[in-house]
Amino acid sequence: MSQTRAPRRLHAIGLVCAVPFAFPGLYLIWRNFTSRADPLGLLFTNQTLQPLWRTLRLAILVSISAACLGTALAWLTTRTDLPFRRLLRVVLPIPLVFPTFIGAAAFIRTLNPGGLANDLFGSIGVNQTPELRGLFGAWLVLTLFCYPYVYLPVAARLRQLPGSFEQTARLLGDSVPQLFRRVVLRQIAGSLTAGTLLVFLYTISDFGAVQLMRYDTLTRAIESNYLARPPMAFALSLILLAVAGFVVAVERRINRRLPEVATHRAHEAARYELGGWKTPAILFVGATFALSTLAPITALLDWASDGLLRTQRGGRPLTIDPSKVFEATANTLSSSIATGVVALIAIIPIAILAGRYRDRIGRFTHSVVIATFAVPGILIALSLRFWTLRSGFVGDLLYDSMPLLIFAYVLRFGSLAMGIAVVSVKAVPNRLHDAAATLGADKWRSFRSVDLPTMRPGLLAAGGLVVLSTMKELPISLIVAPIGFPTLTTRIFGSFEEAFVAEAGIMALVLVCASAVLSWFLVLRRADHL
Amino acid sequence: MYRPLVSVLLTFTLIVTACGSSDRLQIEGLAAEINPDECAEPTDRTVTIYSGRKENLIEPVLEAFTCATGIDTEVRWGSSTQLALLINEEANRSAADIFLSQSPGPVGFLESKDLLGTISTELLSLVSEENRSTKGSWIGFSGRKRVLVHNIDLVTDDELPTSVFELTDEKWRGKVAIPGTNGSFVDWFTVFRDQYGTDVATKWLNDMVKNGARYYPNNRSIVEAAGRGEIEMGLVNHYYNYQEVAAAGDAHRAKNHDLDDNDIGSLLIITAATVLASAKNQTEAHELLDYLLSAPVQNYFTNQTLEYPLAAGVKPNAALPPLTALEIGSVDFDALGGGFDETARIIEASGIQNQ
Repeated sequence: MSQTRAPRRLHAIGLVCAVPFAFPGLYLIWRNFTSRADPLGLLFTNQTLQPLWRTLRLAILVSISAACLGTALAWLTTRTDLPFRRLLRVVLPIPLVFPTFIGAAAFIRTLNPGGLANDLFGSIGVNQTPELRGLFGAWLVLTLFCYPYVYLPVAARLRQLPGSFEQTARLLGDSVPQLFRRVVLRQIAGSLTAGTLLVFLYTISDFGAVQLMRYDTLTRAIESNYLARPPMAFALSLILLAVAGFVVAVERRINRRLPEVATHRAHEAARYELGGWKTPAILFVGATFALSTLAPITALLDWASDGLLRTQRGGRPLTIDPSKVFEATANTLSSSIATGVVALIAIIPIAILAGRYRDRIGRFTHSVVIATFAVPGILIALSLRFWTLRSGFVGDLLYDSMPLLIFAYVLRFGSLAMGIAVVSVKAVPNRLHDAAATLGADKWRSFRSVDLPTMRPGLLAAGGLVVLSTMKELPISLIVAPIGFPTLTTRIFGSFEEAFVAEAGIMALVLVCASAVLSWFLVLRRADHL
Repeated sequence: MYRPLVSVLLTFTLIVTACGSSDRLQIEGLAAEINPDECAEPTDRTVTIYSGRKENLIEPVLEAFTCATGIDTEVRWGSSTQLALLINEEANRSAADIFLSQSPGPVGFLESKDLLGTISTELLSLVSEENRSTKGSWIGFSGRKRVLVHNIDLVTDDELPTSVFELTDEKWRGKVAIPGTNGSFVDWFTVFRDQYGTDVATKWLNDMVKNGARYYPNNRSIVEAAGRGEIEMGLVNHYYNYQEVAAAGDAHRAKNHDLDDNDIGSLLIITAATVLASAKNQTEAHELLDYLLSAPVQNYFTNQTLEYPLAAGVKPNAALPPLTALEIGSVDFDALGGGFDETARIIEASGIQNQ
């Protein structure tokens, strides 16, 4: 990290990019005042402390397991001779794209009593499988859906990491585990904590999975009070945001003590031979893939095929029309890719402020952006309605428009790009800037020809995270999208809520396929050509 | 670097445009069954709908409406609760003319915020008194009955109870699922309080919790779980089991059981339509309401979506058990407008959400 002061123009740009991220928080504070809510009084009552405690317990457990799982998968797919590495890199991010309300339902449908896998186990004599519910169910499902938050940044970092460090360590006699702890772990620590923070924040903001697993968290308490007792819903939301702010601050503390990261371009990364560990490694990665991706997809296929067979038998016809699925797919793809691009543009200045300079504004704006990730989507949607209706001419212009939708998505998911972007910024060696300056390049030129190429794998992973998450977003898509702009997720939701499971299954499969294609384009194909 | 993506997107756009270019005045499928006649000349009139009812069921109705009247519809689909929150946030600047709600709760919320307009008495008189607001602010357009769904392998017909009050019996310990925080359950419980008094209703819920009643987030997940045999029985809306049977056939092992006609467990929960006070297209909104209550649409609701019709003298589909408990629906939801607050407190305090 450089000790120089940030240029004033960068300060200004960073602030402009960060201010919108404060909208949802400011809206919450305002609503707490206007509805005469009493967040402090509420905080120390049993009806808050209990769900709060359950929320924290779940978030900590999911963070730990997702961090381990994501790191292990990243290491195995980037640094070893594991078979099918390329294929795995395409499919491992897929769980990100399951909207939790249908992903969790698919798990229940597959693994619980009477479900597909359960019947299968029964036929081979295993009759006692644990019922997926409560803390265990929520933990399992969220771990399986959230590990990509860790996997993607860590894999991107590992790909950048020069193999020379590891070779040196080996020459000095370190065993592989020693080397992993002393060299690799130190170098990936920034990506790892940033990713784990996202897992934590996502878990505390999730509603779909916890409600289906019947694990009572703060979001459930918020959700069931919106209409009946709005002040309470707003107060609880503010408490949620405060928890997020606290955790973000803690992560910053940890992160500041981490060692500097280093990078080289174009050097062949060290690759390890798994040897006798090959079979366990294959089993481990295979089991993760089977549970996190195949299990829900099987349930979706089952729903879809039930529906198709039913139509064959002359039962109720399917209520989907291919042209509408195309329309929803095109909407999903265009809006999520636009969100990915805009999010990167909005995040990079802040990431440079926070990553390259010791800068108070950088630290603060960075924290605001990240903490916003814990705000449930419905509150982001409502807050944007609130602000556009109160901003006169600009608001009228934006009301019910695509730019407003993209803007809302960026507020919701921009934080996903932040952690990786900061690590990427830090990884650009300062001497390259010095060299560029010596050669007479101005700041902008040096950014384009030095920073961007070095940061590219990280930025693509960051953009990929944003895009895949945007594809599954529900409340914002319902509330902020221009009228008549269906996305796959809103269609899935509409069908599923009314128990049109075949239709929901078919469209969820389309969503998974679309995400696999995007993950190939965005995350893998480009990153591999470094 | 995004060139391949751009080409994929372009292809999609082309396909979509190609598919979407059919003549607007031709309707087919379910919409054509509702309106078999030739479509009216298109007009430049529109009506904007915020619909908590989902597109699979309502889209054909709206297509038929546009065909019959030439009025175009713009729809924001969503969950009833979230749309009510949105309307509240937008207040008098909302784009919505009409709000269609899955259950009365969100409508009561908007009523308490003074955001609802008045529906003409002519329209109100199309449904019986118990299915509309005394102030004329909302009107029911279809009904869903509360029933006890049960797994047919785990519970036999002859042991089934006749009243929700029997469910607190030791015999049913740990066997009954309740969608404790779901909109329609909350509405049902509010009526329960109104009919039997808050003390009786609260005691029943607390006894259910003591008896190991199991919490599920919504009707659909209970019906699905009962179909798999994960749970013996559950208190739900009648509607979902028909959908599951239609979707999964015999593999779904659950059936609806009707409690006694006069039992609170047989309440009819209506889906409600309202015209907003800020509606810019009042006339068109009224025309749409009128259409929702017409015989072809009421027939569609009962035959295609297996709901109870509320108007135009349409008889419920033969597959539905006859509705004799209508008088129990004659509850003044308006009087309970402020009562949802207390209901939420009682449900929260019962601890059902942790079961």
